[in-house]
Amino acid sequence: MSTILKVEGLRVAIGALTPLSSVSFSLEKGETLGLVGESGSGKSLTAMAIMGLLPLIGGRITGGSVVFDGSDLTALPEPAYRKLRGGRIGLIAQNPMTSLDPLKKVGPQIDVVARLHLGLDRSAARDRTVELLGELRIPEPASIYHLYPHQLSGGMKQRIVIAMALAADPDLLIADEPTTALDVTVQAQIIRLLSDLIRDRGLSMVLITHDMSVVAQACDKVVVMYAGTAVEYGTVAAIFDDPRHPYTKALIGCIPRGLAGAQRLKGIEGTVPSVAHYPQGCRFHPRCLRAEAICAAVSPPFIASHDGAAACHFAGAVG
Amino acid sequence: MSAFLDVSSLSKRYTSKRGLFGAARSMYAVNDVSFQMTKGRVVGVVGESGCGKSTLARLILRLIEPSSGTVRFDGLDLLKQRPREMRRLRARMQMVFQDPYSAIDPRYTVADAVMEPFQIQGVRLSSAARSDMISGLLTMVGLNPGTASSYPHQLSGGQKQRIGIARALALKPALLVLDEPTASLDVSIQAQIVGLLERLQAEMGLTYLFISHDLALVKYFCDEVLVMYLGRVVEALPDTDAPARHPYTRTLLDSTFQPDPKLRRRIEPLAGEVPSPFDLGPGCAFATRCPRASERCRVETPLLAASGGGHAVACHHPD
Ligand SMILES: Nc1ncnc2c1ncn2[C@@H]1O[C@H](COP(=O)(O)OP(=O)(O)OP(=O)(O)O)[C@@H](O)[C@H]1O
Ligand SMILES: Nc1ncnc2c1ncn2[C@@H]1O[C@H](COP(=O)(O)OP(=O)(O)O)[C@@H](O)[C@H]1O
Ligand code: SF4
Ligand code: SF4
Ligand SMILES: [Mg+2]
Ligand SMILES: [Mg+2]
Repeated sequence: MSTILKVEGLRVAIGALTPLSSVSFSLEKGETLGLVGESGSGKSLTAMAIMGLLPLIGGRITGGSVVFDGSDLTALPEPAYRKLRGGRIGLIAQNPMTSLDPLKKVGPQIDVVARLHLGLDRSAARDRTVELLGELRIPEPASIYHLYPHQLSGGMKQRIVIAMALAADPDLLIADEPTTALDVTVQAQIIRLLSDLIRDRGLSMVLITHDMSVVAQACDKVVVMYAGTAVEYGTVAAIFDDPRHPYTKALIGCIPRGLAGAQRLKGIEGTVPSVAHYPQGCRFHPRCLRAEAICAAVSPPFIASHDGAAACHFAGAVG
Repeated sequence: MSAFLDVSSLSKRYTSKRGLFGAARSMYAVNDVSFQMTKGRVVGVVGESGCGKSTLARLILRLIEPSSGTVRFDGLDLLKQRPREMRRLRARMQMVFQDPYSAIDPRYTVADAVMEPFQIQGVRLSSAARSDMISGLLTMVGLNPGTASSYPHQLSGGQKQRIGIARALALKPALLVLDEPTASLDVSIQAQIVGLLERLQAEMGLTYLFISHDLALVKYFCDEVLVMYLGRVVEALPDTDAPARHPYTRTLLDSTFQPDPKLRRRIEPLAGEVPSPFDLGPGCAFATRCPRASERCRVETPLLAASGGGHAVACHHPD
């Protein structure tokens, strides 16, 4: 297997704040990596850093590296980034309407991507779009092509956004909460579609979600985020069967397993801190049942190894 | 024995115009819904966005007037109550809203918000009784009495939802209608709130109507379940282990992922779109998506019919 994306010690600043630090993971070709955490944990910032979109929100990378297919993107000039985005890296946003122009028909919006990145002419681009819509199991693709976004259901709009992300035949998809706004039956269909695409086209995907059940269903590897850092990284089996970080364990204990036996839910005391109030030492220590004196003083290192890593002083001992 | 809450043939019809000169069209947000609740039970209502859950909740508390049907609460026909009597009855049936952010007036302190029900009922309390009541209610929902002087913008989503619950409990109601009380919260906070609701129910013998789009949460929390689709109750499950018989309920179950990679689902492709809720013709509203749909399904509306053991299904070809 070869590595398509490697993020190491990523650190992001916005003004005087450092909302993201110590994010490391690697993604092999054909794999899906889940980036999971509660709101404000830094998932979207990680995605924006990979996509070179931080300048849009006044942010910048202040440390670490983002290596895509062998080359470091942290120093990539904007014109080159523009070619990469929508080209070899496709983005699927949470809200389809951030990617779709409400005043334009959906088909031509997909054509534009293929014309720009693949240099296709108008009619070749249109043929390709209709074919792609069919591949995404959109009924009557030739007529859907001529509709406006408001004439489509939420699930259909999200398929159009997926078509846009695929139009330039990318190697990597970054999907930021692609199903969060959708009903469960529609979510299941979109996840199925994404899984099929990964398999059939040999794509790789970073799937961002706050939903551990989506991670369990669709991911090979997982990065668990908390308060702007990665706290645990491992295979999906290791994360669910043998979590090493107390936060990962607690998070799993919060999910109703209503469909598979009753187990009392355990919440996590306290609340997720905001950037301005990240605690000293381990950021999870005010809520951690395992915390000791060292946790409030020293921030635990996050060291990746071949089978995963956890940023906890007692990661080795936690059983 | 008469039911604690008896909802009979309840409907709410909305009419709107398509465009300025368009023909009027109408839809049933709630369509011919009947069910009973026993005191002390937790009944869940599940269904996808727009199926009528919130409308049903508002109808039951008579926050909106039905187009037809009756609601009897503790033997009293709510629709026959005059405003004065209705206000007194509302002390016994309270609602916790979907969005904790909009449910509390931003100009109110926490103390004002929690005491608002007394004000509405015209109950005057001495200042000592008032401050006892405030700290009692805040403690009951797991908040520090010191938060009484805070404003909503100073609180987290979970804290706001606790205040919504404290306010709903202020007048010691018997029935609580909870409309997606955790939908906007992170899972760690959702688990706290669910734990709080479990404790309060056990301590005070409350009856809950618990609305959610999360089937796993409903299975975890509820004794009985009503499944809604496009305004109708399509299945009533007497307990959460009863095997689903309606094709829509089965589709919902099959679309719900488990937080366990060993229990991955094979997601079956789902053909067909959700029909527009406007001017639905005769026949089963699920027929456009149902793998079992027959000719009969397209012409004859299936009505909810008891199928033994408290189970009821609205389907011509149930499992
Ligand atoms: N005041 C209104 N006027 C017109 N239509 C309405 C009104 N209130 C609700 N509706 C419609 O009634 C249907 C049911 O709405 P409701 O809010 O009850 O859905 P819900 O099941 O609570 O959905 P969600 O899961 O998104 O909260 C929807 O199609 C909605 O657009
Ligand atoms: N434009 C911004 N300016 C300042 N802080 C920001 C900005 N965008 C995000 N943040 C902060 O960075 C942290 C991570 O945010 P984000 O990546 O959006 O979280 P997630 O996607 O996991 O919900 C949060 O504390 C958030 O408030
Ligand atoms: S380092 Fe300490 S506070 Fe942080 S997760 Fe580990 S035990 Fe808990
Ligand atoms: S009535 Fe027919 S279409 Fe409706 S759910 Fe039953 S089998 Fe399917
Ligand atoms: Mg985000
Ligand atoms: Mg609602």
